Amino acid sequence: MPLPFLSLLAAWLAAAAPSTSGPTLAREDTMHTEVSEVLVNAPRVTLDEILDRVARGEARRDSMMRDQSFRTSLRMVIKSASANPQLFLETISQVYKKRPDKVRSVLLRKWRMKIGKKDKGDKDDDDMQLDFGPGMGEEVVNFAFQPSARRDFKYRIVGRDLVGSHLVYRIAFTPRSPLDPTTPSGLVWVDTNEFVIVRQEVGFERSPVPLFLKGIPRMVIERTRVGDYWVLKRMLMRVQTTVPIPKIGSSFDIAVSFDDYKINQGLSDSLFTAAGATRGSESSR
Amino acid sequence: MTARRVAARFAITCLALAVGFAPAPARAQPSAPDTTLDRFLGGLSDSTDAYFGRAAVPADSTGLDSALAYGLGHPKELARRGRWRPDFGPTLGFNRVDGPLYGGEFGVGRSRALGRFDGRLRYAVGPNLWLGGGGWRRAWGREGRDWQLAVNGGRETATLNRTARQHGEPDDALGDLQALVGGVDSRRFLRRDGWSARLSRSASPLTVSAAWRDMLESPRDVTTGWSLTHAGLSVPDNLHAAFGRVHEATLDASVRFPRWPIFGEATYDVSRRVLGSAFEYRRTRAALGANFGLGRFAALVPEVAYGRLSGESVPQAAFYLGGPSTLGRFDGDSLGGTSLAIGRIDVIGAKDVLALVHLPHPAAFPLQLGGYAASGAVWGPDPYGGAARPGVDWPGRELWRSEVAASLIYQPGLPTPTTMLRLDVVRPVGPGPRETKLRLSVTRAMALLRTFGED
Repeated sequence: MPLPFLSLLAAWLAAAAPSTSGPTLAREDTMHTEVSEVLVNAPRVTLDEILDRVARGEARRDSMMRDQSFRTSLRMVIKSASANPQLFLETISQVYKKRPDKVRSVLLRKWRMKIGKKDKGDKDDDDMQLDFGPGMGEEVVNFAFQPSARRDFKYRIVGRDLVGSHLVYRIAFTPRSPLDPTTPSGLVWVDTNEFVIVRQEVGFERSPVPLFLKGIPRMVIERTRVGDYWVLKRMLMRVQTTVPIPKIGSSFDIAVSFDDYKINQGLSDSLFTAAGATRGSESSR
Repeated sequence: MTARRVAARFAITCLALAVGFAPAPARAQPSAPDTTLDRFLGGLSDSTDAYFGRAAVPADSTGLDSALAYGLGHPKELARRGRWRPDFGPTLGFNRVDGPLYGGEFGVGRSRALGRFDGRLRYAVGPNLWLGGGGWRRAWGREGRDWQLAVNGGRETATLNRTARQHGEPDDALGDLQALVGGVDSRRFLRRDGWSARLSRSASPLTVSAAWRDMLESPRDVTTGWSLTHAGLSVPDNLHAAFGRVHEATLDASVRFPRWPIFGEATYDVSRRVLGSAFEYRRTRAALGANFGLGRFAALVPEVAYGRLSGESVPQAAFYLGGPSTLGRFDGDSLGGTSLAIGRIDVIGAKDVLALVHLPHPAAFPLQLGGYAASGAVWGPDPYGGAARPGVDWPGRELWRSEVAASLIYQPGLPTPTTMLRLDVVRPVGPGPRETKLRLSVTRAMALLRTFGED
């Protein structure tokens, strides 16, 4: 093909291209059709029904899991609101759980920033670790949507998002009474295909412990799908203190993330007989 | 077997055979997962990443697989050292019967494993007496539907008003501080030597428990009259408990109503001579409370309590009235009787009034407005030796004491979420003198019930 022709073609294409990038849309306005109106009189699902389904969906999610293993990391970042946030501590563990009451965690990494010359950092610092209970119900996600929580919270539908074949409800919850400042309010995203909570943002109307905490401006809890199950992906929280803590500052972030899930793999009971394995519920530290 | 079931089984068998014998390439492939929701949630996660920055960065996974292999292979080496590491700490106290209390306490174990052991040893300088004891508690079953067993023994100073003890409330540290600083201490004390055991069962919304105690109860005298400010004692004497070994059984139930923010509890104590006890009495107390929101601005907290003591009217089983949790214009426990009735309604604001009026102040000290109205009565034989007040199931009309109060409240969030430091301006209502009283006190919301404070 001769070179002048190519140059001409390029010039024509350049001239024909629209001034903005992206596809050119054309409207077909030569054909018309009308569709008769159809009156849809099916009742819209009520908020109460949605709450019932979420409670059932969460219970079903919990009941489907017999065992699980995952890797979890706890990170604390100090001076988080400043331009120079610093990692203060990091702990990573592998956790195994099996119904009805078996749990074992294996510490994989433990690190903490040294504060001062005499500080040993992560040495002899057991409080850095997280303790896990054997439950897989993820109460941190669904605490406001358990049947017994209806007496403590008010709910309202904030919005609906049609995402592919998923209808996602956004439901806000607020405490019925402001008496207890530790009761949070929040917003959850509920996938109505399975009626499980897929994301949650939590906040506090006022500081739960004003003597020390100025507030918790943002707390986010995310889930992710692993196979057929929705599981915790990460929890992030920013904490602001009323007075600056030496070496830490007046704002820090705490992040707990979960990954490398294996669910219903048939964990052996012998895994839970070693040292470090426990039975029964324990709270997180 | 019906024809329909036979046909269904045949169809299922054919389906299974068809699936089983079908050539592999012909098997249906699983449909591609719908990733639109993942993308939607990913978009939200991106904004979270931007907000939290470094905290949201995933941890470096280098070396974790080998660390896991090592950890699984060396479980004892990496087992938590803290599980059986005992906790030690000092413990201090002050009251007018013990004087200064110096000592220590320790704890070891976990209630969900082999159990939690706790102990305390203190020296009471006033009577030159060692006090102390220990206990073990164990819990099992999943949280919310569990059993708990607790066994305790030792020698302790306790208060005659047993409601706080039955509510499982910790030592009254602020009461000790007020006594130490200004001699302000209206508590009445006795000594208990012995042991107790309690078995509890929680199955939401109900918690029930049964307890037994075998204790020698003895009166205490005031041994310490000083305070840091050299102020005299607000209550210079101590109401004497009846001396004797008590064998007492207690049945207790508390409930949180499932759909309403209403709480209830009932306690029945019985001490019988046929059980070897020195005293013969039956003591019943019931309370009901609620926590309603008035929008986001305030909480409305009504509560009522009723109690009856039949049999011997020993002071350590009587009912008491007075103090910031009941009738604030009376000193704590200054009214006593064998029966009690009280109703109280609190309005507790949630907004920081200093912020509302744009008054600069430290963020650590938000102040809330509040107020309450209360009316209560005790009747029957007076443990303080006064004339018996008329009434059997219900008090005479003249026995009711009523008051209203306006309050400035500071809610520090510790040691319980609803603990309040409050300044009340209390005014009596009804017949009698109407002297307005200013009172600074520490209490918690819905103090007539244990249920709310324990959640």
